[in-house]
Amino acid sequence: MIPELGEFALWIALPIALWGSVLAFLGGKSSRGDLVLSGERSTYAVFFLIALASAGIITAFLQDRFEYAYVYNYSSRNLMTYFKVAGLWAGQDGSIIFWALNLALFSSIAVWVNRKKNRELMPYVNGILLAVISFFLVLGIFVTSPFEQLGFTPADGRGLNVQLQNYWMTIHPPTLYLGFTSFTVPFAFGMSALLTGRLDARWIQLTRKWVLTSWLFLALGIIFGMRWAYEELGWGGYWFWDPVENASLLPWLVATAFLHSVMIQENRGMLKVWNMGLVLLTYLMTIFATFLTRSGLIESVHSFAQNITIAWIFLGFMGLVGGVGLILILWRLPLLQSERQFESLVSREAAFLLNNLVLLGIAFAVIWGMMFPLITEGFAEFRVAIGAPFFNRVNIPIGLALLALMGIGPVIAWRKASVRNLQRNFVLPLGVGVGIGAILFAMGVRHAYALLTFAIGTFVLAIIAIEFVKGTRARARIEEEGMGTAFVHLVRRNRQRWGGYIVHVGVVVMFMGFAGTAYDEEVTQNLAPGETLTIASAMGHEYALVYQGLSTHRAPNMDQIVALFSVSRDGRDLGSMTSEIQLVRAPPQRTTQVGIEHFLLEDLYVIVAEVSENAASLFDLNDAALQRATFRVLVNPLVPWIWYGGLILVVGTLIALWPGAGVPTRRIAPAPVPAAVG
Amino acid sequence: MRKDRRFFVGLIGVAAVVIYLVWTGIAATMTYAVTPAELFANLELNPEDSGRGIRVSGHVLPGSHSQASGELKHQFIVVDPTDESIRIVVEFPHPLPDTFSDDQAMLTEVVMEGRLREDGIFEATEVLTKCGSRYEAVPEAPGSEVPSAGSPGALPDQRIASTEGKVDG
Repeated sequence: MIPELGEFALWIALPIALWGSVLAFLGGKSSRGDLVLSGERSTYAVFFLIALASAGIITAFLQDRFEYAYVYNYSSRNLMTYFKVAGLWAGQDGSIIFWALNLALFSSIAVWVNRKKNRELMPYVNGILLAVISFFLVLGIFVTSPFEQLGFTPADGRGLNVQLQNYWMTIHPPTLYLGFTSFTVPFAFGMSALLTGRLDARWIQLTRKWVLTSWLFLALGIIFGMRWAYEELGWGGYWFWDPVENASLLPWLVATAFLHSVMIQENRGMLKVWNMGLVLLTYLMTIFATFLTRSGLIESVHSFAQNITIAWIFLGFMGLVGGVGLILILWRLPLLQSERQFESLVSREAAFLLNNLVLLGIAFAVIWGMMFPLITEGFAEFRVAIGAPFFNRVNIPIGLALLALMGIGPVIAWRKASVRNLQRNFVLPLGVGVGIGAILFAMGVRHAYALLTFAIGTFVLAIIAIEFVKGTRARARIEEEGMGTAFVHLVRRNRQRWGGYIVHVGVVVMFMGFAGTAYDEEVTQNLAPGETLTIASAMGHEYALVYQGLSTHRAPNMDQIVALFSVSRDGRDLGSMTSEIQLVRAPPQRTTQVGIEHFLLEDLYVIVAEVSENAASLFDLNDAALQRATFRVLVNPLVPWIWYGGLILVVGTLIALWPGAGVPTRRIAPAPVPAAVG
Repeated sequence: MRKDRRFFVGLIGVAAVVIYLVWTGIAATMTYAVTPAELFANLELNPEDSGRGIRVSGHVLPGSHSQASGELKHQFIVVDPTDESIRIVVEFPHPLPDTFSDDQAMLTEVVMEGRLREDGIFEATEVLTKCGSRYEAVPEAPGSEVPSAGSPGALPDQRIASTEGKVDG
């Protein structure tokens, strides 16, 4: 019963969303409160109806309703319950509805929060949000309906792709989707500001938390994806420069640029056109990422669907949004004039703008690398492949420039930095950075990029540390507080600034984690039980893995062949580690589970690469010859730092996001000029 | 105004650096992607190309996979997707991806990176598998024939989730 109700709800949601959008625009244009109110109620109704539809899809999964093509393709009777719930976003059809659900939720929140405020903007914001929801509903009903029936009921479904049967499956896609969808709200505010001509910094202040929330979800989604790849795909890395990974990185890069450049508009009244352009571009990138994940246009580990029709529909939608956005910006160009001019290349404005260019430069390089094969195939009639070597070669140097700007931007003076300002803020940190670089060089680190990452990274950390110390000291002196209290009050009084610094610390730590890749160690060896594999890490540790043999287990949906090791580090016993091959029955697939042991500075990573072709017969007889197997063992230095860095980044963002004032009002402090200046 | 112009020069400088990096990056890292037929056709045109790194995609010939015992050296045959008679013998000295298979039932698409040796064997440094068509040979559930429900999206075979394994070369 419920799935049918869900389909029905979806059908009702579309006209309400369309009509509500029209009402909202009309209400805004004619300033008629009743129309505006109807539009807002439509948003709540649409959310409720899409929630019903989603519940319907999940129920269809839970009840094994295989007469639905979507359930048949992504589930099976013995699939674990939480993967059935995750079925909502396992494939294209469901994820379009899931997207609409998220968007309707965020739209309802935006409408509810502003129901008594910002009345001149809200009708348009709501109208835009409902129009976007309508687009996804049209897709979900007419193009990729998850409620489409097969016309018969298969006994069992095809099962979920085994590589997706991982707990990250329930976490990573929704997080990324939350990031993609929540950015629609700042986009709608930006476009409404253009429509109404209210082009002061107001729309930016109103959407700051939305942008930051969206940014946080995107960052988390990307980090979760890295973690998933690291644990599941079993090649020892966390980032492939795979098209879909790249696609999720793009909106994050542009959103990061936007987060920084809006500070220039708020403080100096400049870059208004630029900011409008960035909000539009970020939104387009979220659509692009969704469409790339789901269309399979570009070969990728993620291309779960190969549906070219939907690619054209998405391209058309992007063209429409981009075109209308550009026309609106051109139309309002006279109102988007800068209030001030750039005065010096050595200023905070310049550093921020440079940061923007660098971020967009990375985004450009990534897009170009993804699209180049399509372009050559379309125009030059030969096919090429662009892989990780390209992305690393281009993005590592640009990324290092970005890292350096992360230190410079926050402490260089507005307008024009004096020599005194530069000396006070940069001499000590530069010394620390160069010193660390020299120490690492003396210790034998010769990899240029790794050295630079650590030198620049510590330069940035030193700047941030000095800022914290200076700020805390000043506050302790003026307010006569203890250092601890002063520190807490300092952060609380300008959460945006200090939270931002903590985010920067997280990013530096992550960059250092990435640099560790330069010193990965790997051994591949064929072992018989009792034999030992040894591997030495760049950090100077020696690991010995004694192979104990294979054992077999039968689980409900799979046969497992488990390799057992007893492991020691520098002669100290660490206990056992396992890595296993899983032979899944439905769908018939083979997958490998890696064994990972985390340390503070490195990971030990064990993969059972190959077992004898007849190893499956170990289930019936115990033959020593069948116990031989090949293993890949890796030591990945500093990989744990990526996750620590991610955690710090989240904490910093949450501090900046925490409700309450958080930013000193202008009456008290004219502008957030750092304590160090003057 | 003069200061704004100086600024503009700075912006163009950054853009130029990025474009330079992208341009040289493409030139230095790009590999050609071909089918086995194109690989051989190309070879006839410019034989000196045989030492170059290249990306070849095709299907694994069922039953062609072999491995010396205890050694990590795989050998299999990849055929052209359009012409089964055009074949390449492939050697791969690394573990194969989980989804690699030379079963008759599941036609495995592979994408390999590597180079063609003098002796005509393709030495792969990386093998990716793509199993988009893996369920085609699996018999349907009771009720069997898949009906066309009017819309092309209704056919399960067109909605198959594909998987791809990856081995770092």
